[in-house]
Amino acid sequence: MPGIEHYLVLSAILFTLGMVGVMMRKNVIVILMSVELMLNAVNLSFVAFSHFNADIKGQVMVFFVMTVAAAEAGVGLALAVAVYKKFKELNIRFFEQLRG
Amino acid sequence: MDLSSLMFYLLAFMAVFFGYFTIAVANPIFSALNLALTMITLAGIFFLLDAYFIAGVQLAVYAGAVMVLFVMVLMLFDLSGEVRAFSRGLMSGIVKVGSALLVMLLILLSVLGYYGERLEIGAPPSTAEVVQPTTQDLAILLFSRYLFAFELLGLLLLVVAVGVVAVSRIKGGTHARD
Repeated sequence: MPGIEHYLVLSAILFTLGMVGVMMRKNVIVILMSVELMLNAVNLSFVAFSHFNADIKGQVMVFFVMTVAAAEAGVGLALAVAVYKKFKELNIRFFEQLRG
Repeated sequence: MDLSSLMFYLLAFMAVFFGYFTIAVANPIFSALNLALTMITLAGIFFLLDAYFIAGVQLAVYAGAVMVLFVMVLMLFDLSGEVRAFSRGLMSGIVKVGSALLVMLLILLSVLGYYGERLEIGAPPSTAEVVQPTTQDLAILLFSRYLFAFELLGLLLLVVAVGVVAVSRIKGGTHARD
């Protein structure tokens, strides 16, 4: 059984991948997917700590994070639909014109 | 090397592989596919960590519902005109990737510094004889101590469901064109 540091290293790598995706991509939906990747990495470290401390509270936290992430994806995709309706493209630079 | 170690390294490699291609492929549909595969491998890792309920929720909610939502919204759009998938500028790209690598380095150093020290002392936290909490414990905790937060989550989902419909029907505003 690999130790907790293995899981934390994997979590850090996935989090960094998501962070690079958020900063480098231009498509709004791909940016939202990268945010989901970062949230998944954090969930992994929560579950790893929960397992190695034999404490179930970490999994309760993961449950909450998953629900809020689903809500966040819904709102973000609705904003993407609104932006696409107006500009016929899904580039992140159109978000600075979302006034009123 | 026992079976669980082998499974962990296989799943970890697959997660990093698919995670890399999530952000590296230009086509958003392939990004969504790779992200779904990353989430499925992470569900496998949760299974290895005895978090059976979380693994199931990960498969049903993340790899199922959220990814279907992403792909459905992608299919609503005509993205064939999109040519530039990545932000431009070599210098800013180097700064972005460099800062992300710096964050990863800081996390790795703190993790390895803390746990490496503990391993050298020779007292690794033994988990074999510790009884792992079950899904029943999770449910009891969720519906007793965290009941209020659980109900608040339901309220949040209701508000979001109404708000998403309202936001996606936005017309006009100060930048209305038609």
